[in-house]
Amino acid sequence: MSDARRVRPILRALGASWRAAWMTALAYRANFLADAVVTLFAAGATVLPVLFVFHGQETIAGWTASEALLVTGAFVVLQGLVEAAVEPNLRGLVDDIRFGTLDYVLLRPVDPQLLVSFRRLVPQRLVYSVGGFVILGVAASRLPEPPGLWAISAALTLLGVGAAVMYALWLLVVSTAFWFVRVDNLSYLLTSAMDAARWPIDVFRPVFRVLFSVVVPLGLMTTTPALALRGVLEPTSALSGLGVAVVFCAVSRAVWVRALRHYSSASS
Amino acid sequence: MNAISARGLTKTYRSPRKAQGLLASLRSLWHREHTVITAVSELDLELAPGETVGFLGPNGAGKTTTLKMLAGLIEPTAGTVRVLGYDSTQRPPELLRRLTLVMGNKQQLLWDLPPSETFELNRALYDVDRARFARIRDELVDLLALGSVIDRPARNLSLGERMKCELAAGLIHEPEVLFLDEPTIGLDVSMQVAVRQFIADWSRRHGATVLLTSHYMDDIAALCSRVVVIDGGRLRYDGALTALAERYAPERAVRIRLARPPVEPVGPLAVVGQELVGQVPAAAVPELLARVMATGEVLEVSVEPQPLEDALRRLFGGAA
Repeated sequence: MSDARRVRPILRALGASWRAAWMTALAYRANFLADAVVTLFAAGATVLPVLFVFHGQETIAGWTASEALLVTGAFVVLQGLVEAAVEPNLRGLVDDIRFGTLDYVLLRPVDPQLLVSFRRLVPQRLVYSVGGFVILGVAASRLPEPPGLWAISAALTLLGVGAAVMYALWLLVVSTAFWFVRVDNLSYLLTSAMDAARWPIDVFRPVFRVLFSVVVPLGLMTTTPALALRGVLEPTSALSGLGVAVVFCAVSRAVWVRALRHYSSASS
Repeated sequence: MNAISARGLTKTYRSPRKAQGLLASLRSLWHREHTVITAVSELDLELAPGETVGFLGPNGAGKTTTLKMLAGLIEPTAGTVRVLGYDSTQRPPELLRRLTLVMGNKQQLLWDLPPSETFELNRALYDVDRARFARIRDELVDLLALGSVIDRPARNLSLGERMKCELAAGLIHEPEVLFLDEPTIGLDVSMQVAVRQFIADWSRRHGATVLLTSHYMDDIAALCSRVVVIDGGRLRYDGALTALAERYAPERAVRIRLARPPVEPVGPLAVVGQELVGQVPAAAVPELLARVMATGEVLEVSVEPQPLEDALRRLFGGAA
């Protein structure tokens, strides 16, 4: 089968699912608008801890406030994607397993991982990501040397890589629901760990730096794109980041496929 | 080639076992015991294309587990399954486009949106072209009398309306094999009749192969000439519905109203007011009727087969 013939049904399924998700969100207008406004404020509030920590300090671990805000911006972009697209789906999977409604997903002639991962969308939470891009833009404009096109392209690519790693981590966690059914604690643990990604990886102790580089590669998600915008990213770091992302995606896919074999559905 | 073919189908589960009480709950934190449960055991099943078969059994008999193994949702512990020539455990997209599973107690409708949106979503997922989609949707709306129902949010529909929409959503890709798991559960009598009629019309028009579970014997009697009965995960009967009834409920309920109250019972028929009433073996009915008719005082005769439920109760070893 050609690539186009493989990709077309996926795009069609995603398009139809997101169309339904948008309509569902818009069915409750007041909730949609209120959630969007609150989300925008929440995105803005993420800069406050950075400004507070850097008050009276020129640099911390080699990062200025504006440079640190690049990391915060990248974090907010990814967090918006998590809240809009990743978390609603993967948390929903737990209910689908508990109540057996995963049956209908598995009956579709589309890769179930894809449907499970992306069919739900909370579109108003994408405002958070928009806020993240605004933070990135403002912080980048305050750098001594604003990034060029190459740096911006590299940063956006690395943000995509970070999003892939983040998705893979979530998939690994929720795949365990096929064995344990309830995985609330694991997902809370992941959410809490993710919060560390709002800071440059260099501000942590060495042991955490290793942890956040290899085990839970939070540094790859947010610090690496910020380094690209600063123009100080080593090409080898970018390539190794890409390698880590490929490994995480492959491992999470393998775990998902194995987990699916344990699906026992719910009784009628 | 059979539409559905299963050989030696078996499913066992490991289920956690815990004694009652808080102490046992605490103990189960570090030492959990399991029981192996056999839901389905070495089941053989063949359905010819276009056949409608009733799949019967008491609660927990393994009916739904079997349907889900046939549909490729859960992996058999042992045995083989082929549906339309495909190994359904592999869930190939070519097969999934040609089958459906509708469950009376689970919903696929998008809760906050009208059913028409679920139909549209399924159209995209099953890659049904728009002209074909419009034709099937119109046919479903007509047969199920859905009318304006499909444009109201699913959450505002009655149970019966929702069930009809569930059926329509499951059929929008015109599947050749239908697994229907209690599609009339919880519906009132008139809605049961409507759904039953629809299933009969649809399978006749489209030549679909249907495997239907239901606890309502009227569904089975109206739709299926063949039934498969399982109990405890094992096959107990596979054959004609009429033969099942003859074998396990061979009596007829006979009621004869006479012009005057009878003075004494006639064979197995007891005297109840002005009537003779009783259960009579089917073979003995003509002779018995002839005897009573000979008196010249018969006003009305009613001979009814025993309900199918009685046949099943006997089959499952319940009250005879």
